[in-house]
Amino acid sequence: MKPLLRKLLQGLLLILGVTLISFLLMVWFGPDQTYTLIGKNASAEQIEQIHQQLGYDQPFFKRYLDYLASLATLDLGTSNASGEQVKKILMRTVPVSLALMIPGFILGNLLGIALGLSAASHHGQWRDRLISGLSVGGMSISFLVVIIAFQVLLSTPYGLDLFPVRGWQVSGFGSYLQYVTVPTLALVFVTLGYNTRFYRAVFIEESGKDHIRTARAYGASHTEILWKHVLKNSMVPIVTRVMFSIPLVVISGSLLIESYFGIPGIGLATFEAITSGDQPVLKAVVGLTAVAFVAIQVLSEMLYRLLDPRVS
Amino acid sequence: MPARVADKLLYLLAAGILLLQLAACSEAPEGSESNTSGSVYRHSMDGAPRSLDPAQASSIYANMLVVNLYDTLYRYKYLARPYQLAPNLAEALPQVSSDGLIYTIRIRPGVYFVDDPAFPGSKGRVVTAEDFVYSLKRHFDPATRAQGAWLWQNRIVGLDQWKEDGSDYDREVPGLRALDEHTVQIQLISPFPQLTHTLAQGFSAIVPREAVQHYGREFPIHPVGSGPYQLEGFNSSSAVLLRNTKFRQQPFSLEEEGYDPETQSYAGLEHLEGKPPPFTDRVEVEFVAEDAARWNAFISGETDFIKVPVTQFDQVLSARDPPVLTAEMAEQFQLAANLESGFVHTDFNMDDRRIGYHPNPDQDARNKALRCAIIKAFDWQKRNEVFYYGIGKVFPGIIPPVSIEYDPAQNSGFNDRDLAGAKKLLRDSGWHAGNLPELEYGFPSSVTERQMFEQLRSFLADIDYPAEKIRPLTFATYGDYARAYLNREVMLTTIGWTMDYPDAENTMQLFYGPNSSPGSNSANYNNPEFNRLYRASATMPPSPMRTSMYRSMNRILLEDCVTISGIARTLILLWNRDLAMLPDRSFVGGFFFRFVDTGTGAAGSSKNEASRQ
Repeated sequence: MKPLLRKLLQGLLLILGVTLISFLLMVWFGPDQTYTLIGKNASAEQIEQIHQQLGYDQPFFKRYLDYLASLATLDLGTSNASGEQVKKILMRTVPVSLALMIPGFILGNLLGIALGLSAASHHGQWRDRLISGLSVGGMSISFLVVIIAFQVLLSTPYGLDLFPVRGWQVSGFGSYLQYVTVPTLALVFVTLGYNTRFYRAVFIEESGKDHIRTARAYGASHTEILWKHVLKNSMVPIVTRVMFSIPLVVISGSLLIESYFGIPGIGLATFEAITSGDQPVLKAVVGLTAVAFVAIQVLSEMLYRLLDPRVS
Repeated sequence: MPARVADKLLYLLAAGILLLQLAACSEAPEGSESNTSGSVYRHSMDGAPRSLDPAQASSIYANMLVVNLYDTLYRYKYLARPYQLAPNLAEALPQVSSDGLIYTIRIRPGVYFVDDPAFPGSKGRVVTAEDFVYSLKRHFDPATRAQGAWLWQNRIVGLDQWKEDGSDYDREVPGLRALDEHTVQIQLISPFPQLTHTLAQGFSAIVPREAVQHYGREFPIHPVGSGPYQLEGFNSSSAVLLRNTKFRQQPFSLEEEGYDPETQSYAGLEHLEGKPPPFTDRVEVEFVAEDAARWNAFISGETDFIKVPVTQFDQVLSARDPPVLTAEMAEQFQLAANLESGFVHTDFNMDDRRIGYHPNPDQDARNKALRCAIIKAFDWQKRNEVFYYGIGKVFPGIIPPVSIEYDPAQNSGFNDRDLAGAKKLLRDSGWHAGNLPELEYGFPSSVTERQMFEQLRSFLADIDYPAEKIRPLTFATYGDYARAYLNREVMLTTIGWTMDYPDAENTMQLFYGPNSSPGSNSANYNNPEFNRLYRASATMPPSPMRTSMYRSMNRILLEDCVTISGIARTLILLWNRDLAMLPDRSFVGGFFFRFVDTGTGAAGSSKNEASRQ
């Protein structure tokens, strides 16, 4: 239990650090929303009034403590742009982002593991070189280009015109698949290169270890070696990568996708909050992401023990 | 073989993906025309509104929706050009006293707000004159964070004082009263001929007090109005409007809307005569900021309308002047090439002693010569060609072509590039590469803005302005940029101004001294003669004399070399040929939604001739 408690304590410090730095950035370098909320011909007095209403005139540490209190009580306030409660925004947008990102995330990792295994088991041969080359190629293409290319190829009359270009009018599983397919393929395409390279490296390292050589010497089959020894013993780095990708996938990973595919998820809401300086929304997203990181860190710690008895 | 396991995994995944795709193709998405009852019009916009509260409807995007969800007293005629006002919720145009100070407006009886939990029994009640009074007062209540107060500031008797006294809604404002249930009376401090125009804007839309109180801070996302549509859904990527079944039945009249068969028959609107709008049951508005995604959605038939991104002009147009669709495009789409109701201009900050006013008269004169030289060096033809596909309308000064006061005969010499003249001005005033001031050109960070800056730098290189002395001042967001120029920190400010009403007073006020920053006069220009003319013309109704005064003010501004101005962009609007409509992004704006007919397209009429010719 002790290490878990230590992780929890470290996590709390991490939350404090992340929230403090991000709040500092928001206050000192973020957009001043006053100037997007004033009308034309505003007087200095009106500007000051909005400034006060947004709480910008309060001392920094008071604002920071209010922020921490709002996180602790989950009373996240309301958006300065739309007036909507931040909690409602999150409840409305996070499920959409999860539904959007999970298929691509799972597929990207499974395919990455499969390709990584395939490359590792043919280490140095043409298949390995082909997979590695394609991975580097995939990594080199900008996400934006991939999104536009997939849109054009799969969703417009210039291409196959099979799926909707954008939107999220989901009413059942069929319509869900219609809207999620192209974003998922774009996401898989972009992440596959990174995933494959990472998993390949992990598997190659594991394949070269003494216990694999010993197993081979004892006549274990290749399948057995791959499944029982390489894959199983690589689970710690795999779990680490998967778990720590989750918060990023939910928030920042979906930003471009949601924007280009017109999907009303948390990525789009965050992007709008960043550009307009909508601090209540931003503070909630940053704070909750930090909390999610800590929770995942603790969860990962527990999973490590389950997967590898050597972890104490 | 060890690879077999990995291979099997790969095959399994590939099969899974294929199955998913097949399943995906088996069901049509919700909202597509195939499973939505009634007619649907799908509109796309290049930006999204954040709030649907009329008091915060400062953007084109918000205004577009607000005038459909709420009623304004007036609107612009659908088809009349130049733009003309028409009664909307009001029974007729206002009765104005002979001194131009008292406006009496009768509201149509029997108009209801939509049903909403904010009302007792959730049943919408009758819209009254008191609702209008309340709605205008909200702009002067700091708690509203209203953005439209400037329209009526220092205009209506007692309204500013009402704010000073604490914005108590139960206190009457002497100049803003409901005479009876359906009669409004507005008393002005001094004549304000543009008042009726302000009552056609989303800002003046009528909201019920119960809804504002019921929803509190969330009122901007819970619109409760009496407009032709009511809100079904709203998020950061789309809004869905449904026909307000209680909307008043007023038959559509081509004549009253200002129909011109010679120029507008191609839209196929004749069959709508006598039918009560709205003609479409459902309006889906997509907010798509990214040009490529917006274009793809349009071309694949997911939206019915688009303001074509400049990057697609080449693909869409076969000729520029006038814009003509390519044959392939004309088979599917209709075209309207509308000049924007505004203009783009770059102002010198006159408060900056390096380029603007200077207490030393000699230096002041030298600064003016420098500004004039920069203006002479500016190549409008190139600017138009590179950034506006050569179809923008360049004009001298600040009376844009869409305004009735625009003078097509005005000498455009002000916009002609004159490098020799510019160099002579610099030489005669003692400017040379060594003593020219550092120019700081501000802009919100974007590729296009950066390119515009670089182009300006290249223009000035032609008059030997050292490149290193022209610096970009970039800002991460438009809000940051606005903060900087409203605080007079930017030397050269480029602004795109969209007119609030079709009266050049709206552009003249941009250079009126008392409107200096943080007001809309971001040039901080302050010329006593210009100010005098503005004050004198501001209370005058439209007349040849007022037009002449506007033009004099324009000339003063040009001679003082305060702004590099200007260009009105040509907007290329495309829509599905199956629709009977004439879209507008200008003063009619969102008012045109109610007139869109998806049932009977104009595809068979002679309409397309106009776009093909």
